[in-house]
Amino acid sequence: MLVRFQIPGPLRQFTGGSNQVQIETSGSSLLEVLTDLWAAYPGIRDRVMTEQGRIREHVSIFVGTENIRDIGGLAARVPAGGEISIVPAVSGGRA
Amino acid sequence: MIDKMLGHYRIISKIGQGGMGVVYRARDEVLHRDVALKVLARETGFDTSSREYLLHEARSSSALSHPNICTIYEIGEFDGELYIVMELIEGKSLFSLIGTLGLPIESVMRYGIQIAAALAHSHDRSIVHRDLKSSNIVVTSQGLVKVLDFGLARRLPRAAMEDEATQIMGPVDSHDRIAGTLSYMPPESLRGQTADARSDIWALGVVLYEAACGQLPFRGGTSFEVSSAILHELPPPLPAWIPPGLWGVIQRCLAKEPAQRYQRASEVQAAIEAVQSAAIVGASVPAGPSGGPPTTVFRNIRHANVRSGDALLFVGTTKGAFILRSNSQRTHWDVGGPYFHGNSINSIVYDGRNGRHRLWFSTSSFWGTFLRSSDDFGKSWTNPREAQIKFPAESGASLKNVWQISLGRPDEPDRLYCGVEPAALFQSDDAGDTWSLIRGLYDHPHRPRWTPGNGGLFLHSILLDPTNKDRMHVAVSAGGVYSTEDGGSTWQARNRGVRVVFAPEKYPEFGQCVHKIVMHPSRPERLFLQNHWGLYRSDDAGQTWHDIANGVPSDFGFAMVAHPRDPDCVYVVPVESDEFRCTPGGRLRVYRTRNAGASWEPLMRGLPQSGAYETVLRDAMTADQLEPTGIYFGTRSGVVYGSIDEGKTWKKVLDGLPSVVCVKAAVFGELRISRGARPGSKSKSGANTDARTRSTAYAGQRPPGKANSPAKTKSREKAESPGKAKPRSRSASSAPGKVSQKQRRAPVLPGKSASAKRSSVKNKKRGRK
Repeated sequence: MLVRFQIPGPLRQFTGGSNQVQIETSGSSLLEVLTDLWAAYPGIRDRVMTEQGRIREHVSIFVGTENIRDIGGLAARVPAGGEISIVPAVSGGRA
Repeated sequence: MIDKMLGHYRIISKIGQGGMGVVYRARDEVLHRDVALKVLARETGFDTSSREYLLHEARSSSALSHPNICTIYEIGEFDGELYIVMELIEGKSLFSLIGTLGLPIESVMRYGIQIAAALAHSHDRSIVHRDLKSSNIVVTSQGLVKVLDFGLARRLPRAAMEDEATQIMGPVDSHDRIAGTLSYMPPESLRGQTADARSDIWALGVVLYEAACGQLPFRGGTSFEVSSAILHELPPPLPAWIPPGLWGVIQRCLAKEPAQRYQRASEVQAAIEAVQSAAIVGASVPAGPSGGPPTTVFRNIRHANVRSGDALLFVGTTKGAFILRSNSQRTHWDVGGPYFHGNSINSIVYDGRNGRHRLWFSTSSFWGTFLRSSDDFGKSWTNPREAQIKFPAESGASLKNVWQISLGRPDEPDRLYCGVEPAALFQSDDAGDTWSLIRGLYDHPHRPRWTPGNGGLFLHSILLDPTNKDRMHVAVSAGGVYSTEDGGSTWQARNRGVRVVFAPEKYPEFGQCVHKIVMHPSRPERLFLQNHWGLYRSDDAGQTWHDIANGVPSDFGFAMVAHPRDPDCVYVVPVESDEFRCTPGGRLRVYRTRNAGASWEPLMRGLPQSGAYETVLRDAMTADQLEPTGIYFGTRSGVVYGSIDEGKTWKKVLDGLPSVVCVKAAVFGELRISRGARPGSKSKSGANTDARTRSTAYAGQRPPGKANSPAKTKSREKAESPGKAKPRSRSASSAPGKVSQKQRRAPVLPGKSASAKRSSVKNKKRGRK
């Protein structure tokens, strides 16, 4: 199936400047789909995930309009033709 | 020749001298414009052959009309003097711009495209340059490239341009003389074969290579060795930060067989444009098929123009870093940056070992922590696909920050260390390519009982004993000082005598919140320690510690710097308390001991003495290696101060920055002493003048993004000039008598304002109490 990723500005350096990329994937969970994204665009993985495989504290991922925190985290299901957004989390209070 | 008239041209001045003639600036008295006028002087070989060459140059070049080619206006003869009148181009030769470091990648591409365009134009008219090299390419101040000196160009038969077989298999032209600079000459010319357009493409490849790294691709001590390299050797690979796409273009230009090169300059132009369009502003160039690391190229920011002999300052802040350069006087600083804006630059180190001039930054943002290195003082940076420092999976830990990058010893030029958060020490033995966790420390039974301080749990100080390769010390906040005597296999807590105020046991074996430790290289058994409450000295490599807080307003603080030559001299910046981490009483003062802590003296001249509630973080103060020693520090409010007289007087170097996290100093290459430098300054080169005149005067200047307009800067300089502002003049005259007249004129030592003086007197009185 084909899924589409929305790529935030700081990571477009790894997608040749594109703000969205499409990935052909056989995965159905978010982790499987992300793994295909890492393979196609090396450089994104370590900026989104820690070395222990957790999404970084100040990075949010949405499947459609749902924050993955609310739909099972990395196990969240991704539908065919789904859109996944990687965005820096809103966090403030520190200069 | 000066003032002589050649036709209607009046000679004004000599510009230069080439193999075939002297070039003058001249005035066209008819059209009222300045021109370049090349004269084939009789005394420099005015024979028939030279004359023919000169005429040939004129005829060839006059057929060319292109913005990247020097325009020929006229050829003439007057009183036996043969001359060519050309467009006067004011700029610098590409050769001089390249220097020994090469150009920023974006400049290599920008200029390369223009050179290729010039060649494409001439090749379309069957004209081959045949002497293309960096010294006959000029770049104007607007960045426009002009290719000069089609002096050796020859008009090819059009058939030859279209019939490759003729070019490759055609007979050697025995009348061709081997001309042009050897290093740029293609193999076919060395073999005596006919040069064609593809010979220019080879030379373009040499120029691009040279521009990218500052070195020629084919080198040798003799003409024979250079020729041999051209004929038989491949060019050494370019450094990793060169975009693979550009390296691919250069390699194809430098194919030994003309048939394997680009066949037309327009193809080279298109290929460079493709690489250029792939490079995103401030972002990576995607790796090519070779899989080389991508590179971050910073465009549209100002870079400090660093040259050998410069004093350098590196300032890391919570939102980016700045690179400053100065000559040995250290009174005027050029500022480059911000680099990695939006990232916190938590550690910086300059690696000058093994002939390198490499900067390492640790950058930290929402997107993780990465080590980035630059070999061209910030113009381009490595941009690793993967984080280099990773905790092993079984540890369950994830890297939060790199708080200290440290060099190995001079005889271990490929070794680096990183002190990180969560507290651990990593080591690289391949100049930063791969890193491994030092298990001896990480597996220490104390580690699970270390507790994070306010800033987290991290390892921030790394000290190598220069006389004992097996001994090193680290400090962890809050875990204490740990030392190894076996090269890192085992570690012992060394905190005896260091007090803890936040636990019932006042002198535990470990758990101290050490803020910083420093060592003097000539006396490595002596360490100084700034604790979370407490100043200490050890004279036995950390086995025991003694309280030395004798006369500081507070023994709480973070920053600590050892004098590079005096093992009894240390600098600190006390803050009021753990609850109010600001300079006591709003007075910014550095404290110095020159007797190993028996007493401390405040250093405040030039520093704000009221309303300055500042904090200087643990890595935000540093000393340079010059004499007198320069001391620099940056504050949380974004001001960098410097002293070039060991702390006696201070001056604002830069302000308006985000919070300063780290400040480091270095000298690039051998120190160049500038005119007016203080007596006693050391120079290996012994030079006593500084050719640089373009450095921007600084006087509390703002970073490039917040730069004042030139007019404002000028007026600020005027206002700060002691000779023009009476209060300054008064205070300057009260400066110590040893200050030279030259220094008195320079805005080096700001005097105290009257209010500051009053405050200073009050403080002295208070101090006596």
